[in-house]
Amino acid sequence: MLGRGLKRKLSDYEENMAGLSSAFDSSRSLPYPLKRQLVLNMCLTKLQTYKMLVEPNLHRSVLIANTVRQIQEEMRQESNQQPVNICPGIAPSSHSYTGIESSGISLQLPSGISQQESNCCDLRSVEDPIENSLLIVSDDDMSSAISSILKDLDFVEDISPPTCLVPTGDDQPKFPENTVLKLEDDRQDSKGAECVFGSFEISNSTSYLKDLAIDDIFEDIDTSMYDSDFCCPPLMPPRSPSLATEEPLKTFPSCNSSSANNIQICRTDLSELDHIMEILVGS
Amino acid sequence: FLEGFGSLMQDVLWCFSQVKGTIDIGVTEADIISTVEFNHTGELLATGDKGGRVVIFQREQESKNQPHRRGEYNVYSTFQSHEPEFDYLKSLEIEEKINKIRWLPQQNAAYFLLSTNDKTVKLWKVSERDKRPEGYNLKDEDGRLRDPSMITMLRVPVLRPMDLMVEATPRRVFANAHTYHINSISVNSDYETYMSADDLRINLWNFEITNQSFNIVDIKPANMEELTEVITAAEFHPHHCNTFVYSSSKGTIRLCDMRTAALCDRHAKFFEEPEDPSNRSFFSEIISSISDVKFSHSGRYIMTRDYLTVKVWDLNMENRPIETYQVHDYLRSKLCSLYENDCIFDKFECVWNGSDSVIMTGSYNNFFRMFDRNTKRDVTLEASRENSKPRAILKPRKVCVGGKRRKDEISVDSLDFSKKILHTAWHPSENIIAVAATNNLYIFQDKVN
Repeated sequence: MLGRGLKRKLSDYEENMAGLSSAFDSSRSLPYPLKRQLVLNMCLTKLQTYKMLVEPNLHRSVLIANTVRQIQEEMRQESNQQPVNICPGIAPSSHSYTGIESSGISLQLPSGISQQESNCCDLRSVEDPIENSLLIVSDDDMSSAISSILKDLDFVEDISPPTCLVPTGDDQPKFPENTVLKLEDDRQDSKGAECVFGSFEISNSTSYLKDLAIDDIFEDIDTSMYDSDFCCPPLMPPRSPSLATEEPLKTFPSCNSSSANNIQICRTDLSELDHIMEILVGS
Repeated sequence: FLEGFGSLMQDVLWCFSQVKGTIDIGVTEADIISTVEFNHTGELLATGDKGGRVVIFQREQESKNQPHRRGEYNVYSTFQSHEPEFDYLKSLEIEEKINKIRWLPQQNAAYFLLSTNDKTVKLWKVSERDKRPEGYNLKDEDGRLRDPSMITMLRVPVLRPMDLMVEATPRRVFANAHTYHINSISVNSDYETYMSADDLRINLWNFEITNQSFNIVDIKPANMEELTEVITAAEFHPHHCNTFVYSSSKGTIRLCDMRTAALCDRHAKFFEEPEDPSNRSFFSEIISSISDVKFSHSGRYIMTRDYLTVKVWDLNMENRPIETYQVHDYLRSKLCSLYENDCIFDKFECVWNGSDSVIMTGSYNNFFRMFDRNTKRDVTLEASRENSKPRAILKPRKVCVGGKRRKDEISVDSLDFSKKILHTAWHPSENIIAVAATNNLYIFQDKVN
């Protein structure tokens, strides 16, 4: 398997995921927390992919977000029933499983708790391919990921404003105030969960999700020329103006060009922008 | 109506009748069929595709010379219903794919249908022209204008026969009423109104008015972060023009009565089956999402399709369905893989036969399934070019779940998940079915005994 620090190619990742999901389906001895983690990671990966789309599929996003919430809730319940002292290297004790069972969800548990513990010890092994590809994600990150996905789905220019705020049906979400409180409680709980799972973390790749800031959507738009103090100085551009207007697209700065270049061609770019906007708007 | 129509499954032998579409190995995206619908008499069969085109087939008159060959369906009209659009405000491309086609009942010589993409519904008129006027005064036969000063006598133009021409014209365009993607349209039994449903809202339209619609259902929460459920399908009751149902991504169906309030927030009935704890998995909610809901012709039942089952509900019993049919339960142990490759989100449709005695839905590997509600027998058939000899009887197929695989069986792992049958249609009164397999349309009929 790949050593640490080497970037995995996307195709390898996809193959790995396909292999993992068929392992999930076929293997009965895969421990439940591992299965759950696998599903969670798949969900978050999908949500992240949708975030990059201009128009994510609302139906799918909602279904996946609900699945994440369900897993989140389960993990939270599990952590609430944990004893405070956890031996590093040992998985959550059997107490947590009774917690899950009591909430009415039946699981395919591996036979015998002792086997469970030994399986979890194996999780610490670096060479385990499944373990290497799983990332432990904090509760906080999950909540914020779901929130930001759903917020983005709220189109700015909504055509028909809601006529009333009365929820439809019995299972509709509660009024906003209650939800805000709930979120705050969740964050406090999640901090607790983090402490519990802190010693259990296999890899510190929580940045996996922290990169999912809303600002990242605008990453590819270069706004450095507007940030620069040198905006519109009386500088002559390197190219002759006539050439610049003939090839407006070519002189347009590339996405990640440094600000030094921008200062030089600042002036011509503004007029080129106008020119391009005219073309786009089709006036 | 045929004698003994709706008879036992064993008496119905399905035969290949026709297939439309190319045999090319590489399928053009635009040719993928996205909806299939017979009109109310079964004389016309319409398909919509991803490229925004509508193709209408017409059944030819039965000939006395060939009684065995019941009327074949031939192309009657083809037109571009929707074009790709670009929403400049949101910087979004609007797909031209036809999501649904619904026919209006015929009221005169012309045919009318509604077709919709994600955002816009259009009313199309399809009419025949087999005569044309000749003998204009101001134009000559080629259409060139004549010099009025050269005209010495007047005549009345006469209608002369011409080759049959079928024209499709857009009569109404119902636009700008949906923020989210339209998943259903349904014509009301009053034939004056229809509804269009998107992920969060349902709008009621009058056919004559295009710049206004009534919002009758709105489940959008004040805060989008609270969103946990979307509308997946909606349909009007076949006889009661005030009643409609809509299904959700949580596996529930709500029946609403438009007489109670302008905004139908409060359902009149709420259909939900309690979850089976032994089948619980991470994917339980996803597979419970209803992909299609259809009233029976009688109006007494509704049928819903979720990922693994088809359910029949009695309108008078809300707490559970009266019948549940397993479409492909062998996929239950493959859900993680199907989630990973997104197949779990495939939206299968379901249909009733004319007498509501048999229901049909699609599956993978170009298989489709029929369930006889009376005999409880079911059959799996395949739409494939190999079984496409004229009047060849379709052989029932079987998926082997584990252990020894018999000769004609196919194992679960060999199923082709790229060949999915999402759209099927059943003739309103006869045993003729249309099955869309990617870019091909198969028509099967029962064997004439």
